Amino acid sequence: MISYYTKLAILSLWKTRYMSLLAVIVIAVGIAATMTTYTINHMMTKDPLPSKSDSLFLVRLNNWSPESAYKNRDVETAPVYLSVQDAVNLIRHDKAQAQIPIAGFKDMLKLPSQDAVDAKMTFVRSSTRDFFSSFEVPFLYGSSWPKTSDINGEQVTVISKKLNDKLFDGQDSVGRTVELGEHQFTVVGVLDDWFVLPRFYGESTRAFKAPRDIIVPFQTQLNLELWSPNLQAFECWKETEDASVAAFWASECVWVFFWVELNGESEKRVYMDFLNSYVEQQKALGRFQRPTLNQLQSPSAYLKERDAYSSDSEIAVWLAICFFTLCLLNAMSIIMTKFQGKAGEVALRRAVGASSMDLFQQYMIETGIIGLLGGGLGLLLAQFCLFFSSQLYTHLSKNIMAMSVELMVITVVLSVLSSLVFGLFPIANAIRVQPATQLKSL
Amino acid sequence: MLRMANLAKTYRTDTIETKALSPFDLEVKQGEFIAVVGPSGSGKTTFLNITGLLEVSSEGQYWLDGVEVSTLGDKAKSRLRNEKIGFIFQSFNLIPELNIYDNVEMPLRYRKLSGAQRKKRVEQALEKVGLASRQKHYPSQLSGGQQQRVAIARALAGTPAFLLADEPTGNLDSKMAAGIMSLLKEINANGTTIIMVTHDLEQATQAGRVIEVKDGVISEIKNLAQKIA
Repeated sequence: MISYYTKLAILSLWKTRYMSLLAVIVIAVGIAATMTTYTINHMMTKDPLPSKSDSLFLVRLNNWSPESAYKNRDVETAPVYLSVQDAVNLIRHDKAQAQIPIAGFKDMLKLPSQDAVDAKMTFVRSSTRDFFSSFEVPFLYGSSWPKTSDINGEQVTVISKKLNDKLFDGQDSVGRTVELGEHQFTVVGVLDDWFVLPRFYGESTRAFKAPRDIIVPFQTQLNLELWSPNLQAFECWKETEDASVAAFWASECVWVFFWVELNGESEKRVYMDFLNSYVEQQKALGRFQRPTLNQLQSPSAYLKERDAYSSDSEIAVWLAICFFTLCLLNAMSIIMTKFQGKAGEVALRRAVGASSMDLFQQYMIETGIIGLLGGGLGLLLAQFCLFFSSQLYTHLSKNIMAMSVELMVITVVLSVLSSLVFGLFPIANAIRVQPATQLKSL
Repeated sequence: MLRMANLAKTYRTDTIETKALSPFDLEVKQGEFIAVVGPSGSGKTTFLNITGLLEVSSEGQYWLDGVEVSTLGDKAKSRLRNEKIGFIFQSFNLIPELNIYDNVEMPLRYRKLSGAQRKKRVEQALEKVGLASRQKHYPSQLSGGQQQRVAIARALAGTPAFLLADEPTGNLDSKMAAGIMSLLKEINANGTTIIMVTHDLEQATQAGRVIEVKDGVISEIKNLAQKIA
């Protein structure tokens, strides 16, 4: 019977094509508005690394001033950054599965063969080789640098696909050299397309922006004293010994995000014990004079605390849902008008033996097709809206404005289901017709 | 095959109670051709709708092929309508966007018949009414008489025990009307019971029995032909 009902539905849609088209458009506009805002909100708030979200933690230690709490908060919290000396100490202790400092600087980048005028100011990420494995970063060519590079601070680098396209025309550049300021770095790896959203591991204000195009070992940044105070956020509670970078490295100033990978509760517990004992040791050396507030914070908790997720996008989703409901009510009214014109046909079908359930199924299929067409058109409209948004908000990653296959399927299914739900009343109304009173009106 | 005992119909609103049919008894046997006559608004169509299970009576009992119908639910009534009753309406009631084949096939769609079984029955029904060659035509491409023949084929396709015809010639000219009447008589001669509502006393005389509905009261008229002569 489904094929018969589908045939009748198509004939009916054609017969009432203008009204049907109007219902499809109304549903499409509603679903497009909802799914556009939902997509953006979903991409902004989704789990950035589902396979690792339970095992990655931001290390927070309270090395702040004995005089006052960090940021003078009522409820004291540890800074989000570590000082260089703590980051280096934690790396040396090597107590976690992976240790990932997140630091950076900026410098002029060019190929050795290029003139100085061709150099471009470039933001550089510094970390350890664990950055690539823990954050599941894909490689197009080469691989991450060896552990010795982390230990010795070798001048090696991994570059993004985009930068490789720009500097080396997309060819395998492993073994080639780039110049950062006055230092030469050997390319050991080229990343494939990689976007982790939200980009949880760095500054929350950059959570929806593209990752850096060039990555070097953290130890190399330290060794070469590459420091860009006007790029890198840092917080100090006391003056450094002098104005040198070395003094800054040795100070209590905090600026390095420090992530660790710990698998399971026991590893987390053991690492927490280690942090506690480390802080106790440092207290004995005269540091960490405030209450111990050691913390292992999950990526989502960190992003939430730093207000990375704008509540505006959530409000927009709710507004879009309200708008969609209004659209569905409109569609319901159109479908009701459409079905009212079928009273004669309903009566005839009842007279020749169709039960209420037969007619209910027939009109549910017709309404479902309207929902399906609305979903399809809504999907196209949503793609257009997302493209338009990506052109409008160029400072945000384009990947936020992209709908996954899963969301595309949800769009169509939601459209069909909501159409069926909102079609129930018109259908019930249509099949409630008294055949005896309608049989002269066909 | 059809028995009504003390059947009556009253329409009630908050303030008004209208008696459409006073209590009556009626028995119709297999193969009968009954004409129902009476002035407009007398209750003829109400009688036909109750007989065709499109309306329920307010009181009394109704047996159709031995089944007491007043207690049946929607699904059982629909099945009974589909299997036992064929309707023919004054305004043909064909669905304009379906072709002749699909219109005739409609009642069969609500039975669990295979495509081949449906096809055979539709072709036989259209053959009976002389429109086998018009299967792919649409109602708008046929004359009024032809449309009514399609409606009759639709009613016959389900091989019903009886046909209910509500002024089947009311929208046709006399020549077409005569053709339809002779078709109905032929169908009746083949064993199908027919109950036909008509305004036309001439046509009523062609039925085996004539029932008059007047002010909601049902009575049988004997020797109508002599009375109108």
